[in-house]
This record gives sequence, C-alpha cells and structure tokens, in this order.
Amino acid sequence: MSTLSKAVITDDDFQKFREYFYRKTGIHFDDTKRYFVDKRLQERIEQTDSADFRDYFVMLRFQAQGDELQKLINIMTVNETYFFREEYHFACMVRAMLPELVKRKAPGEPIRIWSVPCSSGEEPYSIAIYLQEYWPDIARYDVEIFASDIDTTILDQARRGQFSRRSVQNLPPPLLEKYFTPAQGGQHFDLKDDLRGCIDFARVNVTEAADTRRFRKVDLIFCRNLLIYFDDHSRRLAAEAFYDAMSPGGFICLGHSESMSRISGLFKVRKFTDAIVYQKPLTGEKVQS
Amino acid sequence: MGLIKAATQNPQTPVANEPEDVWMLIHSLSDTDSELRRMAARDLGGVEQAVPALAEQLGQERQRDVAEAMLAALGKTGSEEAVAALIELLRSNDAWLRNETIEVLKGMPQAIGTHMARLLKDPDPDVRIFAVNVLESLRHPQVVPWLVQVIEQDAHVNVCATALDLLAETGDESCLSALDSVQQRFSDEPYLQFVAKIARDRILESKGRKS
Amino acid sequence: MKRVLIVDDAATVRMYHKGVLNAAGYETDEAINGLEALEKASGQAFDLYVVDVNMPKMDGYSFIRTLRQSPHIRQAPAMMVSTEAGEQDEVQAYKAGANLYVVKPVKPEQLVQCAELLMGAEH
Repeated sequence: MSTLSKAVITDDDFQKFREYFYRKTGIHFDDTKRYFVDKRLQERIEQTDSADFRDYFVMLRFQAQGDELQKLINIMTVNETYFFREEYHFACMVRAMLPELVKRKAPGEPIRIWSVPCSSGEEPYSIAIYLQEYWPDIARYDVEIFASDIDTTILDQARRGQFSRRSVQNLPPPLLEKYFTPAQGGQHFDLKDDLRGCIDFARVNVTEAADTRRFRKVDLIFCRNLLIYFDDHSRRLAAEAFYDAMSPGGFICLGHSESMSRISGLFKVRKFTDAIVYQKPLTGEKVQS
Repeated sequence: MGLIKAATQNPQTPVANEPEDVWMLIHSLSDTDSELRRMAARDLGGVEQAVPALAEQLGQERQRDVAEAMLAALGKTGSEEAVAALIELLRSNDAWLRNETIEVLKGMPQAIGTHMARLLKDPDPDVRIFAVNVLESLRHPQVVPWLVQVIEQDAHVNVCATALDLLAETGDESCLSALDSVQQRFSDEPYLQFVAKIARDRILESKGRKS
Repeated sequence: MKRVLIVDDAATVRMYHKGVLNAAGYETDEAINGLEALEKASGQAFDLYVVDVNMPKMDGYSFIRTLRQSPHIRQAPAMMVSTEAGEQDEVQAYKAGANLYVVKPVKPEQLVQCAELLMGAEH
C-alpha cells in the first residue's frame, strides 16, 4: 500500500465506527471529533497493513483477543496520572460515601480502600492526603489503603514516592509543602515517610482470581481508567473480582468516561452531588420469575 | 486511628484442587448462604461434573449475583452439556436471565456455532431473535451468511429486523440481493425499510470506494 | 422543549426512534441499556422514556422498576417497546411501572401518538 495516500474514511464509515465504539466503550464521538477520530483510524489502518477502512473494521470486529480494539482505545483516550486527578471522587468519598460506610461499621472494624491500578502511586497517596486533610472523622476510624498494579517496576517506583513537578501541580501549595520535600532544586518532590509507610502495595492481576482472593471486606474501590482498556471477557473477570472483594454496600468509582453499563449489571448506580458511583447491593437483586 | 498499614498476608481461601473439594463445592451450590453459593459457582467454572448441578440450581436460583456466577461457570466449561443448559435458559421468563445468557453465549463461538443453524430455525421467534443477538459479538466466520439466511427466509418481522440491525454494521456485497428481497417482503414496515436502506447504503459506499 | 430518553441496545432502532421524535419536535438522548439509562436520568430531566425490553446488563423491566424506586430521578411516563407480544409480558411491564406497552416494529405515527398521549400535546 502506498504510504503517500491515507485511507479514506467516509461519513458512513465514521458513523459505523462510532456506533461500534460507543457500544463497546460508552464513549460517543460527536461530529466535532471527526478529524481526531479519522486521523487515529488512518494511523491504525496503516500500522496494521489493512487495505482500507472496511478491511480494518472487519479485522477489528473479528479479532480473537480484541488486541486491536484495546490499542485503538489507548490512542483514542488520554491517560495521565497526577495527584488529585478526578478530584470529585475524593470529594464524594469524604462527603458522601464514607459517612454512609461508617454507619455499618462495628467498633474497631477498619475501613478498607483499594486503589487499582495504582501506577506510580499518585492515586493511593492522593486518597491518603485527602483523608487526612478533608475527612473530619479520620481520627475516629482505622483506614487501610491497599494499592495494586500488574507492573512490578511501577510498584517499586510508587513505593519510592518520588514525583515530578507535573505530577504534583494540581495540589494546593500548602499541601505540597506539608507532605513533600523538594529535591534537586524543585525538579522532584519526595513524599514524606509517614505517608509513604501507610500504603500496602502489592502486585495484582485483577483478572487472576488467585491474585484477588486476598482482598476481602473492601469498602471502597478506586478503579479508574483501567477497565476501559480491557476486552469484554477481562472486564467481566475484573468486575467479578471486585464484587467478591467488596462488602455489601461497598462502593466502586470508575473513570470519567467509564461506565458499569459496559461492564456488569451487578452494581447499583448511586448518584451523589459530586459524582456518580456504583455500589454492591446490601441485599441481592432478585431473579423475577 | 487514622491511616494504618494493613497486616499483609491474609489467609487464602481454599481452591478446588482435590477431587473431594469438587463434590463439596457442588454441594455448596444449594447452601442457604448466598455468598457460599456464589463462591462455589465461581470455583466450579471449567468443572464438567458440576454442569448438571449448575443447570438444576439455575432453575431455582433467586439471587442475581449467584445466578450470574453460575452462568459464567457454565460459559467457562463450554462443554456440550453446558451449552445445552444455557440454550434452555434462552426460554426463561425472566428477561434478566435471558439476556445474561445471551452475553455468556456470545463468548463461546466454537461451542454455540454447532447449534446456531438449528437455533435460527427454532419454532419460537423470540428464541430466533436471541440467537441473532448472540451473533453480535460472536467471532465466527459464518455470522454474515447466517444473517443473510435469516433475512431471506425468516417469516417474522422482528427476527428480520434484529438481523438487519446487525447487518448495518457487518454487511458486505453478499447481502445485497437478500436486502432487496427482505425490503419487498416487508414493504409496509417503515422500520425495516429504514434499516435495510442503511445497510445497503453502507455496503454500496464501501464497494464504490474499492472499485 | 420536551426531552425523550430512548433506551435500546440496537443502534438502528435508536436512530429510527430519534428521527421520528426529532421530526415531531422532541429533543432526544439515548442509552444502550437500562444501566446507562439510569446514569443519564440521574443527571438530566426527561419527560418520557421509550424503553426496549431485551438489553444486556440491565433489561427494560429492571430499568423501570429501579427508576420508579429512585426518588432522585424525575419520574416521567415510560413506554415499553418490545418484540414480545405475550400478555404476561405486558402485565410484567405494568407491574414494573410502565405506562404503555407497544409491540415492535413501531410505525412513526404510532410512536408520535403515544408520545403525545403520555407527555401531553404541547412541546
């Protein structure tokens, strides 16, 4: 195929692709995103040596492992990690979810929070900082924060707790000063020891039941911007693992362009002022007939 | 109080390794504790001896999360018996159960493939519709030919409509004459005309680009 | 302007209903199943729900049942649109809290008439 000519994406092609992508991911590309989508489709058509959009689309739909769909999702979505990313979930945690959760706790029973994937640690450390700073009841309850990722290298990095300027730029300056020590003339920021020490990091593949068995009675799961990159089968496995890990009434937060509507029907939708989250029912939903 | 480091190693729950464990798990499928039933079902995925018990328990299970785990277990097993049990559930009165079954069958192309031709000729039009629904994500080379067969031969408007919706995404030149004939058969159904036109336009447009 | 939420897993059915309702002067939004419908309804007000029965993750009956039990979602009429013509299906729909039950495929005039009946004639 000539490298000079890019594959043509017609209006019908775009429409067909858009419907398929929406069904699979819940992400809807409106017409203003046309150029953005076309460009990335053309990239993938070329990289997969597909003759044209039609050939590419057939391959995409019928591929056994769904690898191409995942690659496509990767380039169609933006993913970076930084402190207090999607902060509305943390606000929802302290304002709505925790107050509900503590009502069901026996005295001395800890609150368990799981951050997955934790990547380089920004999310679990954000949770810890947010709880210390913004949850009035933090002194009254024990909180255990678990953080996991499939990548051991990134876990080591997370344990070290060293962050770039970019990673901390969303933090209010007083918090940056309180919890971090600048290094190398402000090029890096080292998280202070006491906060680093309170996160339990572990290597976990959420689609492996053997890995997720150790998580039980979890009250709150942050699984943001992971499941969108999984195929249907892996999403199902992960959702099952989370369901089993959670206490009845526990909550799970997904990323801003993710929805349980593409993943699992077992969770209830809960709308709070700050966010829509999902909840494991307190008592099971019934089969009707 | 406050943030505490969790005590690390949590005790592992037993996995079904030994043969006796399997029978214990099968027995747990009818335990009064729904969480035990669910965990047993989770562990019985891929275990062929468990299929009859799973099928039987599904007939009377009232908890959705348990039923879901049982369906997933049957899906994972994928034996002839498991597929037969799942196909029966397409006839369930419960909409949730039927649709959950369709989702499981979508992930079993080899196993359901041998039954598809027969299902597409089932006397119940609803079962035929559900069979077409399974084709949506089924990775099987016969998907388009089966859909063409449906729109050429099925007498029921909604079975054809369901197939046409899928052909709007997957149709190719082999569908064109079948599209003509289904449009003629249901000339007084606006939705059918609408979706057949979309399918045709998309096929012709991509065909035009090729030549 | 009145807003209708179209809930159906088939893309072309959503397109078709949308076309008919937009032409009749209604604004529309879409959801692929009951779960997505609940999410959308939690964030925006709708005046009518047009709901398919058979959808993955959350079927139409479950959606309407949950809708009717959700005080934070604005209650609006719901019409079920189904491929199933059985009497028990219709009874189940009304028990779940639907206001109308119609068998597919729906002709444009029929959809508009039902919408007007359930929402009142002004837009």
